[in-house]
Amino acid sequence: MKIFSGSSNKALAERIAKACDATLSPTEIFVFPDGERRIQVQERVVDEDCMVVQSTGTPVDTNYMELFFLVDALKRSGAKSVTAVVPYLGYQRQDHVFRDGEAVSLDVVVHALERSGASRVITFDLHSIKIPEVFSVPVVHLSALPLFADKIKNFGEGTLVSPDMGGLRRINKMSDMLDNMPWIATIKDRDLDTGNISIEKIEGDVSKLGNKAFIVDDMIASGKTIVESAKLLHKHGATEIYVFATHAVFSKEAPELLENSLVKKVFVADTVFVPEEKRFPKLEILTVAQMVAAAR
Amino acid sequence: MAKNDDFVLLTGRSNPALAKEIGKILGVEVLEPISVFSDGEIRVRIAKNLRRRMVFIIQPTSTPVNDHIMELLFMIDAAKRASAFEVTAVIPYYGYGRQDRKEMSRVPISSSVVASAITAAGADRIFTIDIHSEQQEGFTRKPWDNIFGSYSLLPAIKKKHLSKLVVAAPDKGGMLQATGYAKLLGSDNIALVYKKRDIQLNNVSNTLAMIGEVKDKNVLLVDDMIDTAGTIVNAANHIHKQGAKSVRVVATHGIFSGQALEKISDSAISEVIITNSIAQRPEVIKNKKITIVSVGPLLAEAIKRIKSGESISKDLIL
Repeated sequence: MKIFSGSSNKALAERIAKACDATLSPTEIFVFPDGERRIQVQERVVDEDCMVVQSTGTPVDTNYMELFFLVDALKRSGAKSVTAVVPYLGYQRQDHVFRDGEAVSLDVVVHALERSGASRVITFDLHSIKIPEVFSVPVVHLSALPLFADKIKNFGEGTLVSPDMGGLRRINKMSDMLDNMPWIATIKDRDLDTGNISIEKIEGDVSKLGNKAFIVDDMIASGKTIVESAKLLHKHGATEIYVFATHAVFSKEAPELLENSLVKKVFVADTVFVPEEKRFPKLEILTVAQMVAAAR
Repeated sequence: MAKNDDFVLLTGRSNPALAKEIGKILGVEVLEPISVFSDGEIRVRIAKNLRRRMVFIIQPTSTPVNDHIMELLFMIDAAKRASAFEVTAVIPYYGYGRQDRKEMSRVPISSSVVASAITAAGADRIFTIDIHSEQQEGFTRKPWDNIFGSYSLLPAIKKKHLSKLVVAAPDKGGMLQATGYAKLLGSDNIALVYKKRDIQLNNVSNTLAMIGEVKDKNVLLVDDMIDTAGTIVNAANHIHKQGAKSVRVVATHGIFSGQALEKISDSAISEVIITNSIAQRPEVIKNKKITIVSVGPLLAEAIKRIKSGESISKDLIL
């Protein structure tokens, strides 16, 4: 299998290649003065099974277009199959029509990816388990939760926390992996017009909440949900709060917000590349490369 | 049913001014359904009933091209899901149009990828102005109407009453367009600037050569677009050196990337006439050498004909 990378997460692509005992095959991605990109695959791929690694975090549109072009280039050059490794699948939160007149952006990018010629997709911790149904090609849906479970074991006894009610399936799975560690959920209210978040209530038995709390989520975008959830947990007696979230889709303000929050440490996976300016002392990044290698 | 209630105009963020101009001509409001999430993901919401309506989405896919393409795709999707009767993607400038073939090994045909994505999203028709190569219409099985900016540009040129006019192409690929303009301007004089390999020197280099007589003539250089302006400026300076009285440039799409404006300022070009197929930056609008002509009336007329089922090729395509 030949492994290629787009420009969004080359570090992960290199780790995946290493985990596969392979080297990354070269591509050239040229940006014209007007911003158009031209991709060139620089290795023969006739009758080869190929893998393209491209995370579709910010800048999401450019990363998607680059992925479509890469897949198209490989198919037109004779590749037998193209597995798109999209560790973080951008636009996944827009997976249905929330209000009349909206687009299902996820559906649009999935169809474009399939039209380009992707024959299989490998991705991590989707927001909803129904998302693979949008695809008509096979989807390997992996999770970084086992990596997080290993870390939590080292911290000892504590309580798992889902920052919103949408994460109950995830928190149950996590609890299973940790000998039925108790869990609670904080309840999030989001104003659809302003996007403002408020967290004021807890679901579950608060008496189970000890000193240590482990917040588990699929992604961190603005960081507001985590920060608000931590405030409430602290109010209820948690003194050591750790955060585990797969996708570090950090907005510009997120790193500072998290560093100055009540949480002690933030663990994320390398599904989204975190540039130097968005790294902060409390952040620790774990790699999913071995999992991708095993699923190839 | 109220007048004009049978069709709806949408615009993304690439050229809302052009969309509003078209809306004004056609007497309808233009909807702007795009907003953005904090992480940069685009969000579309069309806050109007589109059921059984014809929908026209006006969105040139200019810089930032990838975002503008995605906005277009999501608007198409939202319109189809809202039960629009027919969705036309009006793309006055079609980005990635120059990547229309495999010019080297193992490259994508990016323009084809974009066309497939547009039709996969649900567009029933693509509508462009001066696409880089008309063969691209074959990238999809949906109808693709391509019209020419000459309809809007010709009156601006004719107004100048240029005597001793020569229409010139800046490279071999521009000959078809140059002969078209010459015919429409009633000029028999055509010139061509082309790259010649100079092998007299030890190192091979490209020098310019010319076919056609330009001495003491008013020359009009014609091209489909001006991007970094390298080709057009070199051709203009070459023509000037051959003794031309004046050199003007006419092109449909003004991209003006990189050092384009500086190159034009420092060149022998006296005037550049382009259209607003791409929304122009303030420094382009302020540039004294550049005249911008609107394709709004042309697009408004075309939209009117599409919705009423009239021919577009009859007298709109010059």
